[in-house]
Amino acid sequence: MHIVACIKQVPDTTQVKIDPETNTLVRAGVESICNPYDLVAVEAGVRVAEKYGGKVTVITMGPPQADSALRQCLSLGASEAILLSDRAFAGSDTLATSYTLAQAVNKLNATEPVSLVICGKQAIDGDTAQTGPGLATWMDYTQLTYVVEIIEVADGFITVKREVEGGTEVIRGKLPALLTVELELNPVRYATLPELVRSLRQEIKVLGAKDIGGEPERYGLKGSPTSVKQIFAPPPHGGGKVFETASDSDKVIEDFLSTFFEKESSILSEVLSSDGSDHAQEQ
Amino acid sequence: MPKNSKGREIAEIIPAKCIGCERCLAACPVPEAMTMEGGVAIIFPEVCIGCGRCFDACPTEAIIFERVRKKKAAKPEAAGAAEAAASVDGHKGVAVFIEVYQGHGAEVSWELMGKARELADKLGTQVLGFLLGHNVKPVAEEAIAHGCDTVYMADSPAFQVYLSKLYGRAVAKMCQQVKPEILLLGATAMGRDLSGVVATILHAGLTADCTGLDIDMEKRLLLMTRPTFGGSIMATIVCQNQRPQMSTVRPRVMKLPRRDPGRKGEIRTLDLGAQADSLPQVIEFMPKAHEVGGVDITKAPVLVVVGKGACDSRHLPMLEDLARLLGGAVGCSRAVVQAGMLPYVRQVGQTGKTVAPSIYIGVGVSGAVQHLVGMQGSDRIIAINTDPHAPMMQIADYALVGDYLEVVPRLIKGIEARLPSLKGVSS
Ligand SMILES: Cc1cc2nc3c(=O)[nH]c(=O)nc-3n(C[C@H](O)[C@H](O)[C@H](O)COP(=O)(O)OP(=O)(O)OC[C@H]3O[C@@H](n4cnc5c(N)ncnc54)[C@H](O)[C@@H]3O)c2cc1C
Ligand SMILES: Cc1cc2nc3c(=O)[nH]c(=O)nc-3n(C[C@H](O)[C@H](O)[C@H](O)COP(=O)(O)OP(=O)(O)OC[C@H]3O[C@@H](n4cnc5c(N)ncnc54)[C@H](O)[C@@H]3O)c2cc1C
Repeated sequence: MHIVACIKQVPDTTQVKIDPETNTLVRAGVESICNPYDLVAVEAGVRVAEKYGGKVTVITMGPPQADSALRQCLSLGASEAILLSDRAFAGSDTLATSYTLAQAVNKLNATEPVSLVICGKQAIDGDTAQTGPGLATWMDYTQLTYVVEIIEVADGFITVKREVEGGTEVIRGKLPALLTVELELNPVRYATLPELVRSLRQEIKVLGAKDIGGEPERYGLKGSPTSVKQIFAPPPHGGGKVFETASDSDKVIEDFLSTFFEKESSILSEVLSSDGSDHAQEQ
Repeated sequence: MPKNSKGREIAEIIPAKCIGCERCLAACPVPEAMTMEGGVAIIFPEVCIGCGRCFDACPTEAIIFERVRKKKAAKPEAAGAAEAAASVDGHKGVAVFIEVYQGHGAEVSWELMGKARELADKLGTQVLGFLLGHNVKPVAEEAIAHGCDTVYMADSPAFQVYLSKLYGRAVAKMCQQVKPEILLLGATAMGRDLSGVVATILHAGLTADCTGLDIDMEKRLLLMTRPTFGGSIMATIVCQNQRPQMSTVRPRVMKLPRRDPGRKGEIRTLDLGAQADSLPQVIEFMPKAHEVGGVDITKAPVLVVVGKGACDSRHLPMLEDLARLLGGAVGCSRAVVQAGMLPYVRQVGQTGKTVAPSIYIGVGVSGAVQHLVGMQGSDRIIAINTDPHAPMMQIADYALVGDYLEVVPRLIKGIEARLPSLKGVSS
């Protein structure tokens, strides 16, 4: 079985610091990592391949430096890696991104037909969770999002457990299928030394728009219906009143409560009058 | 103006303003002159030819470029504009996809109906409801009571259970027939699963998790604002050339409109000719324990959120008391889940739940970026922390500096003393 895992390189948000002066994020010089959900996707693919036989190809669309994320996935057991890198892809929104990935999967289908595509639930930077459903739709594959367990892959079908509103469901669909996976699906293994060595030596296939064919006007900025018009700083949250409780805690907390109950009386009465059955209550 | 070693005046990126949209890259004529690193565009000074096209393309003023040029580079948007105008023409109305659970419309759909009403009034057009399901006429009537003018309803046993492709094709077909200019969906598990399918079939633009929706009256465009980078930057996204302009919005972000049972509207039945797909097949549904009489932190009007600084199970009952006093629930940071004190369903943040309570009380939560993204929509934020410089204390409306073991018991006592009078006033 040929399994494809789609991965995205993202800024390591744990390194992002808040500048206390301006209250903005300091983002210069932040390193890139593989999207945490996508490592789970790769692991899931490798586990399926180990259990049922087959191999995993990892694909990313990104700048040349994204090859480090691909190498990490190789070290986790993926067999092959493809980097989709081309200026033509710059400025892709999720429609163009999923189209580009679909072209790459189509290309793989021509030689080694793909049964399963696995994406992360969301990327921690763009955070739209739209790429997976987009790719499933371009490919006309069975779409199974928010997967928390892969129960069985057999005879051209896959059965998974997925998160839905108010619970989880077990659902069975036909292959080829596209999954998007939750973090709790499976822990990610540590790479062994031989795998690490292999991952560093292995060649990564780099493909551009011409290599994967498709309609040029569907790539990059041209193929992206959304565009960022402007950015602005969010309105500061309230007055940011500070209460130092260390010295005379009884009095300071009384002061706080008086201020709070006076200034926020409308919110408080709304909260306290809201119908308990509508909302969560500690049982 | 920076120069490279060849003395050429070049462009420079201001990383704090760059949002990684890659418009500069798409505009740059020299392949090796720019790339992305850590989500920020970078320019290689020795390769940059100083043409300034990146500067023209940047929507966020994140590029410094001052040299006077002979002519301004053409804007990349110009391409395909004629074709676009044709596809925009003839689309009218603000549509809401109405989610149905166990025979009832989801609250988020009514919240969106309220927002759609506001947008439609600005545009001088109708609010439309897109409704799929089986025996859902009562839901259509509810939609009208919440501000919908015309409900397009496809009532069929085929739509009894939600399936991505089946629903996606049906909603896309509705869009092709009805031609709304805007389509709003809840950013729920179903809405997020569905919206990507519909947008892809229609080749439409889709903006995720908007917290603000408004209209650019001059251009008749939907302005979709969403927080990025942990809420420290708000990005306004537009979709110029494709219709409908699609957007998802999380529950409890928009205000629930007042229900008016006497309101008049129209229900039109559409036959989409949908056949019940035999596959995929839902074999089993397991309701989540915490939503059957348990705790759903996304619905609590008040949330007391426990952080590492208050991660001590001996004192958890005290924090639960505080929550209960205000009719709220207890959530936590990831650090507390990792310590094993509370289950994952209580986690607030990027990899946990997104919450927007009326009152958020963070107890010993530092306010890491991944936490902040999950709670920035809260109406009022109270933070209790020994460290006045913790990020959570910076964004809090009320920052209580001190040990939570000192602060919380006094809060409980003070609130208990005040509640009777407040409850008396409100009832
Ligand atoms: C500030 C800002 C706001 C944006 N808002 C929107 C928006 O509202 N709508 C929109 O359409 N676009 C938006 N974009 C663009 C969007 O971030 C990119 O299209 C991105 O390539 C994919 O979207 P995502 O990061 O949300 O990924 P998601 O859709 O959240 O990713 C889900 C999964 O898809 C796979 N995947 C995603 N990207 C890649 C890739 N490049 N290569 C391989 N696999 C991948 C991974 O498995 C990933 O886990 C925005 C960009 C910025 C900078
Ligand atoms: C990919 C990724 C995803 C993540 N997703 C999430 C997520 O969804 N949700 C989440 O919360 N985190 C998430 N994290 C983790 C996040 O980066 C932080 O590590 C975490 O939020 C810290 O939790 P904390 O604030 O409880 O603990 P800490 O950062 O350790 O903060 C403890 C705070 O308590 C204060 N304190 C100590 N003693 C006292 C006292 N006696 N009284 C009062 N205050 C006291 C301290 O001053 C400090 O500010 C994620 C990280 C990564 C890498």
